Amino acid sequence: MRFACLAFMACLALGRPVAWAATGTIDTPPKAADWAAIAKLPDWSGTWTPNITDQDRRIETDPTPWTPTVARQVAAMQAEEKAGHPRGLFVNCLPQGMPSWMLISHNALEILFSPGRVTLLGESDGNRLRRIYTDGRGHPADPDPSFHGHSIGHWEGDTLVVDTVGVLPQTIIALDEAVGVPNDGDLHVIERLHLAKPDILVDDLQIMAPHVLRAPWKTSRIYYRQRARKYEIEEGVCLQGSFSNGTDREGHASFVPVPQMDGNSKPQ
Amino acid sequence: MSRYFLIALAAGLILAGSPGASAHHSFAMYDPSVTVRLDGTVKEFQWTNPHALIWVIGVTKPGEAPTLWTIELPTSPGNLSRLGWTKHSLSPGDRVVVELNPLRDGQHGGSFRKMTMVLTGQVLLVNLRDQPKTEASK
Repeated sequence: MRFACLAFMACLALGRPVAWAATGTIDTPPKAADWAAIAKLPDWSGTWTPNITDQDRRIETDPTPWTPTVARQVAAMQAEEKAGHPRGLFVNCLPQGMPSWMLISHNALEILFSPGRVTLLGESDGNRLRRIYTDGRGHPADPDPSFHGHSIGHWEGDTLVVDTVGVLPQTIIALDEAVGVPNDGDLHVIERLHLAKPDILVDDLQIMAPHVLRAPWKTSRIYYRQRARKYEIEEGVCLQGSFSNGTDREGHASFVPVPQMDGNSKPQ
Repeated sequence: MSRYFLIALAAGLILAGSPGASAHHSFAMYDPSVTVRLDGTVKEFQWTNPHALIWVIGVTKPGEAPTLWTIELPTSPGNLSRLGWTKHSLSPGDRVVVELNPLRDGQHGGSFRKMTMVLTGQVLLVNLRDQPKTEASK
């Protein structure tokens, strides 16, 4: 295992995530030392709320290096949004996925440490969850694409370095809810998560999307730590907004579809 | 939490009109340059993701026949809770005056700007960007 970890680190240092075989045991039973090791990690407890003002600002300060064709498409979307005809990128309630969850969400997240694993749980979307394996495993050789992809991570001091591949090509690189394009495949995201101050978490992202970006997009997002009760994460099932409360034929509580327009209840 | 306790909320409403004001969709279909004042009665308050909704039957001009308006709050119950709202903030039958940015296509829908409870004078606002950085965690 130690050799594998060393090889893994070496490969990461070379910028080449390792691809391990699809077979074999990956989740070995944690030992007391594995739990004790968690106590030595930085304290990322609490709820983290995004700095939304900074999200807005970064669109200007960290411009996205779109390919020329995509840049024209993005400009058209921005013009349409400005004219009052926003393209509803997420009105179908599918997860924002990677990297848009990290880029544009206005909702809170929390970060859990367990042996060999860091887990990000988000609010809204219904299934906002990232599993980041820190046990030294590599990416699968041929991952099944998913909204959040396959993530492996390792600690460099108090910084968690995360490497994500295997994201669905339809998953959008978004500047906001109305402006963005699907990554079109081969998306690779490297993140460095670290505390900039005791209660400020920074995610430095490097987004490689060779079909829509002409160069890696480097940008950052900022999160504030919250410990007050009112920041406790709420369940967020996006599709629930497409229904109102009613009763079925047998008199049981049930969800009744609400006519939708542009991703919200249609005026009657 | 008593609804009367709510909302000594943030002043200033920079939210409406900002692209990407919501977690779910852009609010650009609402016209931030127009504010409609709707005087009416709450029919229903839906406290659900991705955006809470208020249905109000009311008038925008004296003498007008009351109609049903669909008013969208700019965010989810999670964020609204942090701004002082609860699922009990509004009840069917509450008399309200709502300021909203209407849909550009003229349908009776709008994005929430401000609401005044007629009975108590209490003012309800939503300004997501006014959330504190980190609240004192002592």
